[in-house]
Amino acid sequence: MFSFTKEQKIIDISGIHLGGQPGVNPTVLFGGFFFKGNADFNNAKKQLEEMYKLSKKTGNPAIPDFFIKKDELMVKIIDFIVENVPKNYPFSIDIIDPKLKIEILKILYDKKLLARTIYNSIHVGITDEEQDSLKKYTPEAVILVAFNPKDQSPDGKIEVLESGANLTSKGLLEIAKDIRIKKILVDTAAMAPGDNSGAAIAAIPVIKEEYGLPTGCAIHNVVEKSKWLHEFEIARKSVDASSNVNIPLFGGDFAIFGPVENINLVFPIIAWRDILISEYAENYFGIKPADFHPRRKLF
Amino acid sequence: MQNVKTSVIGSYPVKVNNLELMKDYFDQKKSSWNKYIDKAVNNQIKAGIDIISDGQTRDPFVNIFTRKLKGCRIRGRTEVIDKVRYIEPITVNDQRYVKKIIPKNKEIVGLITGPYTLTKSCVDLFYNNKKELAFDFAKALNHEAKNLEKYVNLISIDEPFYSVEMPEYAKELIQTVFKNVTCDKRLHVCGDVSKIIPKLLEMPVQILSHEFKASPHLFDKFKEYDVSKNICLGSVRSDKTTIETVDEITKHINCGIDIFGEKISQISPDCGLRHQARNIAYQKLKNLVIAGEKIYG
Repeated sequence: MFSFTKEQKIIDISGIHLGGQPGVNPTVLFGGFFFKGNADFNNAKKQLEEMYKLSKKTGNPAIPDFFIKKDELMVKIIDFIVENVPKNYPFSIDIIDPKLKIEILKILYDKKLLARTIYNSIHVGITDEEQDSLKKYTPEAVILVAFNPKDQSPDGKIEVLESGANLTSKGLLEIAKDIRIKKILVDTAAMAPGDNSGAAIAAIPVIKEEYGLPTGCAIHNVVEKSKWLHEFEIARKSVDASSNVNIPLFGGDFAIFGPVENINLVFPIIAWRDILISEYAENYFGIKPADFHPRRKLF
Repeated sequence: MQNVKTSVIGSYPVKVNNLELMKDYFDQKKSSWNKYIDKAVNNQIKAGIDIISDGQTRDPFVNIFTRKLKGCRIRGRTEVIDKVRYIEPITVNDQRYVKKIIPKNKEIVGLITGPYTLTKSCVDLFYNNKKELAFDFAKALNHEAKNLEKYVNLISIDEPFYSVEMPEYAKELIQTVFKNVTCDKRLHVCGDVSKIIPKLLEMPVQILSHEFKASPHLFDKFKEYDVSKNICLGSVRSDKTTIETVDEITKHINCGIDIFGEKISQISPDCGLRHQARNIAYQKLKNLVIAGEKIYG
């Protein structure tokens, strides 16, 4: 049981509140939409609706995270967002290729979607062109991935935010500040098992205490890469979903929980965890949960 | 060049592909750093250098050590937050890799950033006692030196701070780092060392290395002493992008020979080349090698 001495910043992205002391706001859940080959947008629509239903029921805000790997699907995915993500609801765009990132920013601008966009992500691989593009077409919020290839510990993650670990000329926080991004989320960069994977969780309270920024991660990636779990088929899904409870338990604010298919497991588990945290946070610290918190809805 | 060898002081410029590192992260693959060591080492070999370094490609010379020493954490600068201790080899794996990839006629210099330079470069939030911190760094570095000597021909301690401020326990620090280390030892102090030459001549190393190219007045200063140590003669500038011609370097080495004679055992750049463009660093080394061959055959 803990609260942070550093003042915690709560950011509002289209009505979704991210950040704060443990027990105030519910954990925000980013559900991944991955499109391959002949993308099944009808199924994606159903999954999106289902995710919003669960979000309404539990009180845990849902943000669809659209993973874009190929440029031929880019416009189709944006059209899908325009048609299916309710007006004023936020979404995140998850792209690795810097060229695609630059292209998508222009499209998001043209479609007037930047005010709802969470840019996933800025990291040490950012190019000058990408920075220029972000200055021109600035999204509402960004996720900074605190991956430091030289040091996977919480200190290493702070180093990359602070100074860029001599990989970039300045730290990721300063890069975001120069772009004039006001709403910053920090992803603590979950590593593969055996590569200090637990540090992604350990870093959550460290980063929140240092910067007071909304912090989370995609801890389920570690489960995906835990090959030994493949022998335990029934348990594997539960472990995958429940790995996310580590995030609120360590004071985190959001979970990028992987494929949207997992919503039925993830939302109730996180809502349950958030209720427990809220109970002890109120009992010990007098922290009241937000009006839309699962504890107010389900308990 | 039978007895006089071309060497480097330490760092060599390489461009790290950050995007590739990120792609490995997104694929949850562990990135290998060997390709960057390859680039630094291969360039030195191609230029004809005899004593090769790993290029110190991972980090600046302070962070390489403080990143892996217990009690340190890196923020803007390194902060010392607990007792400094050696918990794992720092540069040994990279040197072991270098040993694997170089031809048998090449030698390796192991690089250690000196305890006083580490002390002066860190923000001390724990000791509140510079001497105690410096000796704990020295003891930790002694473990590294003992591990390192299995893979290298020579260990070089880099102590640039000695030219700015030499503590009365400077010699003792170097002794501590090299306690029970039997390979050849070099002390590199860049900057103007003219006022500390007598103390440098007492250091427990076989070779003294200084930036004679940027500070040619050192020739006259050293002339005043009976130099019993071997000399690694800095012969191209590491802080200027101008590439010295072979003739210019030859002339400079001859000036060194006038002062030190056979005591010159190595010729090298003045300091690490990290801040140079790669093509410039390479050309500087290449001209150094040609100049050395012209003089020493």
